[in-house]
This record gives sequence, C-alpha cells and structure tokens, in this order.
Amino acid sequence: MTQFKELDPILHSQLRLAIISLLIGIEIAEFTYIKEQTGATAGNLSIQISKLKEAGYIEVTKKFRNNYPQTLCSITKLGIQKFAEYVNDLKDYLNPGKQK
Amino acid sequence: MENEEKVMTGEESLRIISEMINKTKFDIRQGSFYLLFWGWLIFVCSLSEFLLRHFASFEHSYYVWLLVVPGVFVSMIYGSITGRKAKMRTYTGNLYMWIWMGFFIAATVLFIVHSKSLYSVAPYILLLAGLPTFLSGFLIKFKPLIAGGIFFWIITLAIFFAGTDTYSLGTAAAMLFGYLVPGYMLKNRVDHDAV
Repeated sequence: MTQFKELDPILHSQLRLAIISLLIGIEIAEFTYIKEQTGATAGNLSIQISKLKEAGYIEVTKKFRNNYPQTLCSITKLGIQKFAEYVNDLKDYLNPGKQK
Repeated sequence: MENEEKVMTGEESLRIISEMINKTKFDIRQGSFYLLFWGWLIFVCSLSEFLLRHFASFEHSYYVWLLVVPGVFVSMIYGSITGRKAKMRTYTGNLYMWIWMGFFIAATVLFIVHSKSLYSVAPYILLLAGLPTFLSGFLIKFKPLIAGGIFFWIITLAIFFAGTDTYSLGTAAAMLFGYLVPGYMLKNRVDHDAV
C-alpha cells in the first residue's frame, strides 16, 4: 500500500485532517462539537487545533456563553486553499496514471 | 481518533475526509418547525376569517390576523433558543435562515406599503411566500417543498382570476399544501435527514 510523506505535513495527520475536513463545510464550530465528531481526547484535540492555528489554517475564537468558556473554530482562506491542494495531491497519488 | 502522527495511506485520508464531510450536513428536519408552526397559524387565521366573514357576518373578521404578531415573537424566541444551543453553524443552515428572514422583511414592507388595503395584499404575500419555499426545497433537495412553492404561485393566479374575495380560502389551501404537507413529510423523514 502506498504511503505518502510528500503531502502537506500539517494536513497529513489523522486528527488534523479530520478537523479540517469537518470545518470545510461549517461556518463555525465549538470545540466540544469537534471533539464529539472526531472522537479525540480534549488534550490531543487542543494540541492539533493549536498546530492548525499556528499554520494559519484555522481561526480560534474564545468567548463566554452563560458564564462558561467557549472555544469556536473556523477554517481560514489559507486553510481552504491548503485543503483543496491536499485533495488534488491525493487524487494524483491515488490515480498515478492520470497525473497532470 | 488514533495517534495523530501515524502515517496514513491515501485510502485512509479519503475515508477520513468523506467521513467528516458527511457529519457536517444540515439537518433538514430543523426547518420543519417553522413550516408547521406558520402553516397552522396562517391556516387557522385564514379559515377563521373566512368563517367569521361569511357565516357570522363579523365586520372586523380581519382581527384574527393579529395572531401573527405573537407568532413572530414565538418564532424569534424559538430561533434564539435553538441558535444558542447549536454547537455549529453550517453554510446551508445559514442560507436557509436568511432566505426566510429576507421573506419576512419583504412581507413586512409589503404590509406597511399596503396597510390601507390589507385584502389586496394577500395575493402578493402568497406570491412572495412561494419564493423562499421553492428555494428552500432546492437547498435541502426536498421535492415536496419545491412543489409547495409552485403551489403558492398557482394559488396566487387562482385568487387573481377568481377575485380577491377568495383569498382566505386560497391562503388556507396554500398553507395546507405549501407548508403543512411538506412540513410533516420533512418532520417524519428518516431515510434522508441531512444535506
């Protein structure tokens, strides 16, 4: 089975890819929602969200709702662009005969 | 989710992408509350007005339409509660909301402009109401709602040719087939609950 290390290293990780794939179709999502959907632990998710934020792929906003802290995540323009590039690269790897 | 640094194969990447994208779909049943609430409210108002006017000869039968005012508040409170509870917002859900918000604003403007002749405004409201119904049907890929929107326009034409006196019965019919039937179908839909 082919393994890819050449793909964008920020996205080519299970949890980070899951986060970005989730956010691509959502305007904004709470940390707890992402945790539920990915099944990740809070600690691991926090680390991966920070990495995506540092890379500029997502935006993280902290708010308070009913006196409880709320972390909201949304994908940035760069994140959308990088995700599109990742999907295109993935297509090339999966269909090597159809490469540009 | 497993160890985040594990090297993935292309197939695994594709599986994660499609699995996550499928989870972010807009729950189309969310829209059924407004269809059923407004469908019943307007159905009751139009039928009551027809009965009061034709069988009780009540001069101010149009007073029943004042029920729309608390209806607006109920919708706003419901929208605010569900909005606050929501853990995420989809683009489809947002578009769905703004389509109906646009209709509400346009209908309010129409009422203000035609405040002196409320009877004549009814066909225009139905004409206007057909558009968000029709567009919402396309947005959530739900044919009964698309048909509901078309039915609003057919009823508008029917009222125009039959005379504005028929507007209350026409409005009741429009609510029945434009909102209530698709609304219940949407509520009970289990085989395709997201878009």
